[in-house]
Amino acid sequence: MRVELQQISKTFGRVRANQDISLTFEEGHIYAVLGENGAGKSTLMKIMSGYQAADSGHVVVDGQSLELRAPTDAIEHGIGMLYQDPLDFPPFTVLENFIAGRPGGVFPDMEAARQHFLELTERFGFALDPDRYVDMLTIGERQQLEILRLLSLGVRVLILDEPTTGISAEQKQALFNVLKSLAHDEQMTIILVSHKLEDVIELCDHAYVLRRGRFVGEKEIPCPIPQLVELMFGKVIERKEVPRVSVGAPVLEVENLALSSHRLTVENLSLTVHEGEVIGLAGLDGSGQGAFIRSISGLFPPMRGTIRVDGRDMTRASYHDFAAAGVAFLPAGRLEEGLIAGMTLTEHFALTLPSRAPWVNWVRAWRVTQERIQHFNVKGRPNSPIQTLSGGNQQRFALALLPDNLRLLLLEHPTRGLDVESANYIWEQLLARREQGTAIIFISAELDEIVAYSDRVMVFFGGQTTLVEDRAQMTVGHLGELIGGRM
Amino acid sequence: MQQTSKQPTSSAWPQWSLQMLWRSFLDMLPAMLAPLVGVVVAFGIIILILKWQGADAQVAWDYVYEGSLATAAKRADLVAFWMPLALTSLGLVLTFTAGLWNIGVEGQIVMGAIGATWAIRLFAESKAPPLGLEMGRTGILITSFIFAAIAGALWATVAAVLKTRGGVNEIFGGVALNFIAQTFNMYLVSNGGPWQPAGSRATETARFPKIARLPAMENYRRLSPTTIYMTLAAFVVVVVIMYISRWGLQLRAQGKNEKSAFLLGVHTQRNAIAAMAVCGGMAGVAGAFRVMAPDVVKLTATPSGGIGFQAILVVLLAATSVLLVPFVSFAFAVLSKGGQRMESGFQWDFDITLDRSLVRVLQSTVVLMVVLAFGVRNRFFPPRSVQPIPDDEEEIDRT
Repeated sequence: MRVELQQISKTFGRVRANQDISLTFEEGHIYAVLGENGAGKSTLMKIMSGYQAADSGHVVVDGQSLELRAPTDAIEHGIGMLYQDPLDFPPFTVLENFIAGRPGGVFPDMEAARQHFLELTERFGFALDPDRYVDMLTIGERQQLEILRLLSLGVRVLILDEPTTGISAEQKQALFNVLKSLAHDEQMTIILVSHKLEDVIELCDHAYVLRRGRFVGEKEIPCPIPQLVELMFGKVIERKEVPRVSVGAPVLEVENLALSSHRLTVENLSLTVHEGEVIGLAGLDGSGQGAFIRSISGLFPPMRGTIRVDGRDMTRASYHDFAAAGVAFLPAGRLEEGLIAGMTLTEHFALTLPSRAPWVNWVRAWRVTQERIQHFNVKGRPNSPIQTLSGGNQQRFALALLPDNLRLLLLEHPTRGLDVESANYIWEQLLARREQGTAIIFISAELDEIVAYSDRVMVFFGGQTTLVEDRAQMTVGHLGELIGGRM
Repeated sequence: MQQTSKQPTSSAWPQWSLQMLWRSFLDMLPAMLAPLVGVVVAFGIIILILKWQGADAQVAWDYVYEGSLATAAKRADLVAFWMPLALTSLGLVLTFTAGLWNIGVEGQIVMGAIGATWAIRLFAESKAPPLGLEMGRTGILITSFIFAAIAGALWATVAAVLKTRGGVNEIFGGVALNFIAQTFNMYLVSNGGPWQPAGSRATETARFPKIARLPAMENYRRLSPTTIYMTLAAFVVVVVIMYISRWGLQLRAQGKNEKSAFLLGVHTQRNAIAAMAVCGGMAGVAGAFRVMAPDVVKLTATPSGGIGFQAILVVLLAATSVLLVPFVSFAFAVLSKGGQRMESGFQWDFDITLDRSLVRVLQSTVVLMVVLAFGVRNRFFPPRSVQPIPDDEEEIDRT
C-alpha cells in the first residue's frame, strides 16, 4: 500500500503547524519522520491517522483520496497509529483491550479472539498473558498489545509516535525486530516518529525531516548522524563537556533502606550524597528507582532503614517536611504532577513563593515571574496560561519555580521529550545549582545522559542496586549490562 | 531562534495595543454569548412543555412576575428566600473551587436547622438552661447561629474526612449523609419524636418562643434584616478569600490539579477539610435562617426545602465565580417564588394542574443548556489561551 500526503496544511490559531507538506510512503519500507519539538511531526501523523483533520491537502492511498473523519476511518483504510501514551483501558484485561474497538456485535466471540491473540503473540514473540490486567503491564507491554490490536484490525500502514520512550532495551529490540519483519517480510509500511537519532539509524531505511512546520529534506539511511542533525536543527549541536565540581559535606544519608510496593521490593539500599554531587539512577522502568526517589522526598514511606538530610533523621517525614528541609522533587509528568494547567505563570509563582502573609502579593509575584522567566529563558509571558507553553518551556519553567539554595534536587526524566538544545539548556541550569552546594539525584532512561552528567551512578535491576563510582566504568556499554542484570 | 529567545518579556508591553484589546474581545465573545444562548434554549424548551400542558407561556410568565416581583410584599418574601440560598451558594463556591462536589450541602443545611433548634430548646425554652446561662434575645440568636454553624461544619467535616482519610468520594459520602440528616430530622419531629410536642400530630416542633425569633422588618413581617446583613458579610468574606487570600489561590490550584498543587507545597488535605467545614458552617447558618425566619419559627419536616440542591445549580451556573452568585441565586429565587404562584394561578384560574416542580425543571434545564453551551464553545470556538503555541511562534508568524 502506498500512502501519499499531498500539500497538507494545518494551523492552530495563529500557529502554522504544517505548511504545504507532501510526502510519499511506499510499502515494504521503514520511514522516519524526524524533527525537534514543535516541528509539526505529531500533527502531521495525527492528520494521517484521522485523529484530526487538515485545513487543506489530501491523504491519498493507492491513488484514492481519503476522507478521514475519525481514527476508525483511517483504520478501515489500513492506517493505524500507535500513540506515545498507549490508548488502553487499564481496568480491563489484555484480551478485553484486544477486542475493544473491533467491529462485531454486542457479544464478542471471546474464544475466537483468544485464539487469534495467542497466534499473534506467538508469531511476534511477545510474552503477553491475555488474562492479566493492563494496569499491571509495563509501557512496553502495553505497546505490544496495541500493536497486536492494530495488526488484528488489518492495518497495513503502522505509525509509531516515539515508541522507544519508557521501554526497556530488550523490549526495544523485540519491537524493532517485529517492525523490520513486518516491513520486509510482509510488505507493510512502517513510519517512526522520533527525535532519537540512534533509533532512526538502527531501524529506518529513509528519513523525512520537518522543521518548524515545513518539510526540509530527506536522507537515505545509513547516513552520518551529523547530516540528520543539521537538517533537524539547521546547525550542529554537541553535548557540552561538564566541568566537575568538588564535593562538600554529606547532604543525604540513606542506610539499609527497604522499600516495598505491590510489584517489587528494594532491600538494603545505602547511599550517601554530598553537596554538589550529581547521582544518576539508571534501570528499566519499575526497577525501584522511582520508589527510591519518592521515598527520599517523603512521598513513599520506607519499610525499614533510615533517611537523613543534613544529619537530621527524616525517615518518616512528610513531603512538606522534606520540602522545608530543602529537598525538591520534580516528577516526570509536567502537566500531570508539577504544574497546574489553567493557571498562569504568575499564579504559579504566587502559589509557591514563600510567604507568611495570608494574602497574595501580586506585584511581587509578577516581578519575580518576569525575572525568573527571563533568567531561565522561558518563552512565555507572565500572564500566559502554563499549558500554552511548549514542552521545553514548561520544563524550564518548572525549574524556574524551584526555590534557590536547595539542598537536594530530585528529578525524574528531566529532559524526557525535549530536543538536544533544550536538554542542554536544562542541564546548564541544573549544574549551575551545584555551585550553591545543591546535590542532584536524577532518573533517566537515556544512558548517554546519565554518563554525561553523573559523578556516580546507581543502577537498579529488579530491586537490586549497584553503585558505579569509577568514572572509567561509567560507559553506556557497562551500564547497559548492569541494567540488564549482568553483574 | 536567536532573536526570539531574547525578547519574550521586554517586547510584551508595546503589543498591548487596540488590536490586542479587539482580539481579546473577540476571544471573549463566545464566552459571553454561550450562557445567553443556553438560557434562551432552556426557555424555549419550557415554553414547549407549557404549550404541551395547554398553558399559555405569557400567562405563566405573568404569574411568575406576580409571585415574585410585582408588589413590595412579594419582593420582601423573595429576599427572605434569596438570602439562605445565596449564603449556601457562597459556601459552595469554596468547595467547588477546590474541586470538591459538596452534594452533602443539603444535609448540612438540615443539620444547621437542627443545631439552631437545639440551641433554642436549650437556652430559650428550657427553664434551667445549661450552666445557668440566662441569655437575652441577642445572646440566644447568636448562640443559635453558632450551634447551627458548628452542626453544619461538623456534618461537612464528616464527608471531608471520609474523603481524605477513608477514600470515600465526597459525592457518595454526601448523598449518604444527606439521607441520614433528613432521617434524623424526621425522627426528631414525627411520630412522637423527642422534639414533637406531646399530643401533636403535625411533623414539626412547637413554635419557638418570641425571644428566639429573628427580628422582622417593620412593614414586612416575614423578612428579617439580620439575614441580609449576615449574607452580605459572608459575600464580602468569600470575595476576599477568592481574590485576595493565599488560601483562595491554593483552593483554585488544588481544584485544577490536586497532585500538582500538593507537589508545589499546598497542604491539599488540610485545605479540603477546611473548605468543606467553612461551606458546611455557612450552610448550617442558612438552615438556621430557614427555621428562625419570622414566618416559620419552628423545625419542620423539611427545613431546607431543597435550597441545597438549588445552590448547587446556582454555583454550576455561576461557574464558581463568586461575583455572579448574587445574580444567579436571585434569578433562581425569582423562579422558585414565582413557580409557587404559577402553580396556584393555573389551578384556580384555568383549572390546569401544573406542578411547581416544573420550575425545578426550568432551573435544571437552564443549567444543563448553559453547561452545554460552554461545551459547544470550548469545542468549536476554543479560547486562544488553550491552543498550543510552539517555541517559535513569532518566527512562524513572520514567514
